[in-house]
Amino acid sequence: MISKSDKYQEQVYLRDIIGGYMAELGSINDKTVVVNADLMGTCRTKSFYDKYPERTVNVGIAEADMVSFSAGLAHEGYMPFAFTMAPFMSMRACEQCRDDVAYGNLNVRLIATYAGLSGGISGATHWSMEDCAIMNSIGGMTVLEPSDPYEALSLMRSMIDYVGPIYMRSSIIPVKVLYNSDTEFQIGKAVVVRKGNDGAFICSGVVVQYALKAADKICNKYGKEIRVIDFHTIKPLDTNAVINAATTGNVIVAQDHSVVGGLGYKVAEVIASNRITTNFKILGSPDKFIPMAHAEYLYHEFEYDAEGLEKNMMLMLQK
Amino acid sequence: MIKQKSKPSTIEELELAALKIRENLLMLCSKESIHIGGDLSSADFMTVLWQYQMKYDPTNPKAEDRDRFVLSKGHASVVTSFNQAAIGCFSAEAVISEYATDTGRFSMHSCNLVNPYVEVSTGSLGHGMPVACGMAYALHLKKNNSNRIYTVMGDGEQSEGSIWEAAANAAHYQLGNLVAILDNNGLESDGRIDQITGLGNIAEKYKVFGWYVIEIDGNNIAQIKDAFDSLPAVDSKQPVIIICHTIKGKGVDFMENQVRWHAGKITPEQRDSAINKLENEYVAKWGIQI
Repeated sequence: MISKSDKYQEQVYLRDIIGGYMAELGSINDKTVVVNADLMGTCRTKSFYDKYPERTVNVGIAEADMVSFSAGLAHEGYMPFAFTMAPFMSMRACEQCRDDVAYGNLNVRLIATYAGLSGGISGATHWSMEDCAIMNSIGGMTVLEPSDPYEALSLMRSMIDYVGPIYMRSSIIPVKVLYNSDTEFQIGKAVVVRKGNDGAFICSGVVVQYALKAADKICNKYGKEIRVIDFHTIKPLDTNAVINAATTGNVIVAQDHSVVGGLGYKVAEVIASNRITTNFKILGSPDKFIPMAHAEYLYHEFEYDAEGLEKNMMLMLQK
Repeated sequence: MIKQKSKPSTIEELELAALKIRENLLMLCSKESIHIGGDLSSADFMTVLWQYQMKYDPTNPKAEDRDRFVLSKGHASVVTSFNQAAIGCFSAEAVISEYATDTGRFSMHSCNLVNPYVEVSTGSLGHGMPVACGMAYALHLKKNNSNRIYTVMGDGEQSEGSIWEAAANAAHYQLGNLVAILDNNGLESDGRIDQITGLGNIAEKYKVFGWYVIEIDGNNIAQIKDAFDSLPAVDSKQPVIIICHTIKGKGVDFMENQVRWHAGKITPEQRDSAINKLENEYVAKWGIQI
């Protein structure tokens, strides 16, 4: 287990945390199996392999096969954790996630790195602007995106007793440690990271740290208190947290994902269905293909870094 | 109709069992459009597999010591259901009356949300075999050296890339408990496979992938039984494929080798005449009075 002392540096890589934690999960539950598709290094699952070689499978560069193979293990009572990059999991193996895993409501954990545009200079083939939209639309699929190492670990521990398929995406951009080591998180329950009633940032993953920075700046410069809510669970969505946030009258949803079909659409649906009147904007990657560049450059370009979030919230508050 | 023995084991009994399966298929086919061509091509090996070969207790479909069956060739769902009926999972009448109804257990493809005898819900091609590999690996993890995973594939399905991803890892992980059966009937929905994208020498392909390959006439009960009787040990190191050379529509003159009978419905007259012919052939061969 992680010690109570502040183990993590200021910034950490979630894939180190998530992949590395598998070795510990392996000892908590002897039904866990790690299934790789030649990205054991990229996904940081080698420590599990060192400890449990017989419970490690590497199918090679064959993501569709990885997911079907995992489904077969789950049919026999094992809990496979399949690891690859988000675009390959959600698109190369999309039908396998749907037919082989979700149709049977199997306890397969689809653990994806390279979320959103975090793959940066690798370009669009290694980005996943669509994965949440795809996974949100698959029946019974739970969709997670942690923002912080302790949150990631807590969600992973929860997976052991959770029934049904889970897709978890995470960024390769380093994230700040936002929570204490003993914070408990519950799948389906959003976390208010910063209080405020003048507006709300609804966000997930790497964007949470930017939203906190933006909210602090807005407070310091203009005295406005902006709520920041970490939606580590995209589906099932914490609708009460959305409804409460919408009462501020100024809601910005930001996710490292296409503006189409991700957290933004889920939140918009709740607001519309509940007949709530509020200012509302979705920030994310645009609905088109764009050339490769560093992730931070792209987040700035599409205004979901701290500066962009601050600018957009201030424009909204001045309406 | 001819009465069937409860547990067929001789060639004569198994041929009768296969005849009964074809009769049920034709009964249903006169009521609903089904994938009759592929059901008939696979009817013989499905009969021997389900009614002779597999260790399977219909009163306990989740028993740990059962053999598992995954229908990769998803369209052959109803020939599977009729064989499950023959071993007592449910009645053949239930299959016929519930087929393609809105609340029934049986339909165009197999669904384990409504039918507990379906291990894996299938339909889309190129899925069952890769899932079966994961199950075979799981049995290795459980140190189960006595049960096998059987999966039935179509030859048209061999065009799916996912089949070959799984073929590679089945050999790499030495899944000797995996037995794939290929219904090599030569036809797919649009026509003859060798005129669409031919498979070449499919036996050689599996051999170079590291599989143990058995090739038989898949509409010959004696050869099918012999193939199952002489399977390598469950704990051997090579996955097994039984390539069954079959005839699509086998047993019904006007359907045999006809692309148009991939799926379809027949008239009661066509049904009765086809059943009569099958019964007469059986009687002529075995000299048994009906």
